[in-house]
Amino acid sequence: MTVVTGFLGSGKTTLLGRVLSEPSMSNTAVLVNEFGEVGLDHHLLRRVDERAVLLGNGCVCCTTREDLVDALLELLDLDQRGEIPRLDRVVVETTGLADPAPILHTVFMDPVLQHHFSVDLVLTTVDAVNGDLHLDRNPESVKQIAAADKIVVTKTDAAGPEAVRGIISRLGAINPSARVFEAAFGEMDADELFRRDGAVSRAASGATVGEPHDVGGTHSVSLTFDGAVDWTAFGIWLSMLLHTRGEDVLRVKGLLDVGEVGPVVVNGVQHTIHPPEHLDRWPDEDRRSRIVFIAKEIRPEELLGSLEAFRGLLGARPLSLGAGHAVPSQ
Amino acid sequence: MCVLCGQDFVAQVHWTDRHLEDRARAAAPGSDPVAYQGDRRRDRAHRVVLTNEILRHYGLKLDDWGGSKYVLRDRKGRSEIVQDLGSLWPAAERLAGRAPDPLDPALRETLLDGQPLSVAGW
Repeated sequence: MTVVTGFLGSGKTTLLGRVLSEPSMSNTAVLVNEFGEVGLDHHLLRRVDERAVLLGNGCVCCTTREDLVDALLELLDLDQRGEIPRLDRVVVETTGLADPAPILHTVFMDPVLQHHFSVDLVLTTVDAVNGDLHLDRNPESVKQIAAADKIVVTKTDAAGPEAVRGIISRLGAINPSARVFEAAFGEMDADELFRRDGAVSRAASGATVGEPHDVGGTHSVSLTFDGAVDWTAFGIWLSMLLHTRGEDVLRVKGLLDVGEVGPVVVNGVQHTIHPPEHLDRWPDEDRRSRIVFIAKEIRPEELLGSLEAFRGLLGARPLSLGAGHAVPSQ
Repeated sequence: MCVLCGQDFVAQVHWTDRHLEDRARAAAPGSDPVAYQGDRRRDRAHRVVLTNEILRHYGLKLDDWGGSKYVLRDRKGRSEIVQDLGSLWPAAERLAGRAPDPLDPALRETLLDGQPLSVAGW
């Protein structure tokens, strides 16, 4: 399952229209919130109304999207009864203002869906012309960037190369772990876009660039540890952090050396953590832990200081990767 | 809840327990169930020890309860039964009267000191 999110008018539908017309995407179902002006022509198109059910503590990211549960169960039913061609993938398109976290929460928490669907990646579109404006004005847009595994910068043809460079650098500052693509006129290679390599390969190369960035109250920090980390202790630390400060932790992503043959893939958006995967081997030669935190209202020093205090339990000390420089919001 | 064994049916595995769940599922048919149970117990005991290092800062203590749940207690004798780390922290917040925050400088000092607090009776 792929979640496609992006700012209003940033070209989500155009991009989907192009990508879905490719033969390799024929067994893909699409869930959209509104049939926009750009008509998507696809035999597995479903419309869902955003219906959110707020749970317990009232945090927005821990809501269950009932509409999505119904739509996905219906697809599952059709698929298993053989009434539609075998389903390879579901693409969920959100509204421009939607926070992607509830979608992940819905899939991970539903007693049926969690066994049938997994979230491959979150794709966010940003338009090169108005992206800066959205990021300045709209806190949801920062969340969408933080939650992304891949970011597509659209309308690069309409914006000057200067503006495109500016927005890409700003996106990198908010979310150093995401891969950034450029797409003029919605031209994109579907396989490239939907291939699930985000969690591993990007954490590998992206995190090492790691610099503490400060983008209008949102900080990101990449760090590693000087040895293998006790997975139980890390789970205690992270679950505690997410319980108390979950709404401020926009993203946690990376590979963790837990002293086993392969690393553990950690991937979380706000309170919602992907089921951690224990890999059989490292994706490349570098066998160090590398993990990126994107947070608002939490300074990188606080996170590092906290992990430092937990070093006795973790069995390793945290090290910040790279020297930092701030990229001010414009 | 099952009336015979007093255990809830757990529909949702917390992400911190996922590796145990995965290991149980990956075990080949006919493999020794005792080995897995041993791993699981060791893992739970280890978690209790580590978690108590943090909880003592809040005057709380965690115990394994029959290998299926944990019991969280405060010094006044109040207790709550929790399933996993997902339900532990909200319970700790209720008993301690404040949210356990890993970024809290006071907690950091307690951990860095490494001196066990004098916990009479425990």
